[in-house]
Amino acid sequence: MIVALALSFGVSTALGILLLRRIWPVEAAPLPRLLVAALGTGLGAGISGALLFPWLTLFGPTRAFPLAEACLLAVVAIARPRPAPAPPLEHRHPSAGPVRLVAPAFLVTLAAAAAAFVTMLRQEPHGGWDAWMNWNMRARMIFLGGSGWRTAFSPELPWSHPDYPVLVPSLVVRAWLYAGAATLLGPALVAATFAFGTLALLVGGLAALRRPSQGLLAGMVLLGTPFFIRHATSLYADVPLSFFFLATVVCLALDDRYGTETRRFAMLAGFAAGLAVWTKNEGQLFTLAVLGGLVLAGWRSGWPDARRRLVAFGLGLLPLLVLVVSFKVSFAPPNDLLSTLGIHRTVGRVTDPTRYAMVLRAYIVHLLSFGDNGLGGAVWPLAVCCGALGVSRPESRRPWARAVAIALVLLLAGHFMVFVSMADELARLLKSSLDRLLLQLWPSALFLGFMAARTLEEVGVPRPATEPHPSHALHS
Amino acid sequence: MSRLVFAPRPVIALIAIFVYAAVSSVHWARQAVGSHPRVGTDEISVYERRFDRLRPALPRSGMVGYMGHPDPAAPATREMPSPALLHFRRYLLAQYTLAPLLLVENTSPEFVVGNFEAGTEPAAPPGFMRVGAFGDGVILFQRPAP
Repeated sequence: MIVALALSFGVSTALGILLLRRIWPVEAAPLPRLLVAALGTGLGAGISGALLFPWLTLFGPTRAFPLAEACLLAVVAIARPRPAPAPPLEHRHPSAGPVRLVAPAFLVTLAAAAAAFVTMLRQEPHGGWDAWMNWNMRARMIFLGGSGWRTAFSPELPWSHPDYPVLVPSLVVRAWLYAGAATLLGPALVAATFAFGTLALLVGGLAALRRPSQGLLAGMVLLGTPFFIRHATSLYADVPLSFFFLATVVCLALDDRYGTETRRFAMLAGFAAGLAVWTKNEGQLFTLAVLGGLVLAGWRSGWPDARRRLVAFGLGLLPLLVLVVSFKVSFAPPNDLLSTLGIHRTVGRVTDPTRYAMVLRAYIVHLLSFGDNGLGGAVWPLAVCCGALGVSRPESRRPWARAVAIALVLLLAGHFMVFVSMADELARLLKSSLDRLLLQLWPSALFLGFMAARTLEEVGVPRPATEPHPSHALHS
Repeated sequence: MSRLVFAPRPVIALIAIFVYAAVSSVHWARQAVGSHPRVGTDEISVYERRFDRLRPALPRSGMVGYMGHPDPAAPATREMPSPALLHFRRYLLAQYTLAPLLLVENTSPEFVVGNFEAGTEPAAPPGFMRVGAFGDGVILFQRPAP
């Protein structure tokens, strides 16, 4: 069973990495291994999960799916490789000092977090409440349901949110199709893929676009965020969603860097946003916020460039949008939050100032305490670190950075209005979901923050001095 | 021989991140060392096993009724601060355990699963007969064929 699950991971990862290498514009952009591996792992899982749903509608939950996927992998593998060599990486000279300082600390943090991840999974192997009553229950209904798998979306189960997109249950079903049984290791594998994939993408993205030391620092903050590891083991969909948010943001940064010669990174960004939509309903708001950010940032950076980016983003988004719309039309009953939207009740809510005050207070408290590890929230060390390093003006003024910053603000504002206008039990909903919404954004916010901050190398890092400075030589 | 060249700003940045990560790492390490795996003995796995003997008596798919303890309208007590929540949680766990069957909280299907406290002897719903008791408060009712 372990071998079969490892195979399921290997096939989707190989599929993602191979596809990424096939479409990577090697003539324009270098091919950073960690970034491609991390992006390929998550996108490969997303592609596999997205492919399973049409397969289900055509053939049901049959064990021929792994075989079909293996055939697809073979086709991608034997497709003619692209000949052009990659241009050299910008930071080929490894800055030994900073990395030598940060890497051991990063590895210690990684080891401790990985050990805790395994321990927590073994303590609650079925995950948290939402995981077993929603995602994994749906996966069981599909996998064990045979020809009656559509019962998983029955309106008789309104509490299980049958309108929610199904990437996470699909991936669990996929793991079980490989394993041949509904083992608890299936959801655990999905959780591990996205938790450590998100970490690798954050570190790899910053290492490729800024410096390896910058990536390691950001990775330490993410690993040090207790809610990230704890929530990953709860088997909810928020960490997978955070991966696709981050993948969108990283691809937009790549597009900004290399986009004059290729549209592929903007298309990949759109594709990653589409996978976010296929993961959770929050992905829809995220995609709208990113589109809003691209438009607003485009006003300053120039409309032709923004239009090119928007068109490519939309092309990448389109296939997943078709999948989501067909799911919503064919399977999903109405959303439970939307169904509470009567005109009179909504007007009553949005004109009630106490609701705004309540949500605002919750936003401030949760933002300041997010990532609290007993010493304080993660915002404080992050603010001290970025304050000490200072802002890199060229990086912070790039159009992608403006677009993503605007998108994150729009997203927070959008969630704010959802809380104000829709929630019946506002206090309970804020308590149970605001930290999760912040967690979805956290890796993207870290990426943006560390991209915009100066690196240790730019500021002047504590480094091993092998040669005496001229002034020191004079004094001695 | 090499020595370190220090600049205050990166040192402050590194200390901020290192201290934060170190505190979390100590927390993670304590968690990993101090807790024992509960696979198979965790609450949900134990709850699932309550239904092991019932499963063969149920149809493989379709809709099954459900009735359970406690009464969601029961008054709250110190031992049971929210009967409605406990009732709902037990229903959800039963649905999770018995998937792909669809459990509905009414008696319209032919079979109704009773999920009660161990040792209780609840009456069959009107028009149903008791098919069997499967231990630990799990009972199956069936509507007799006309």
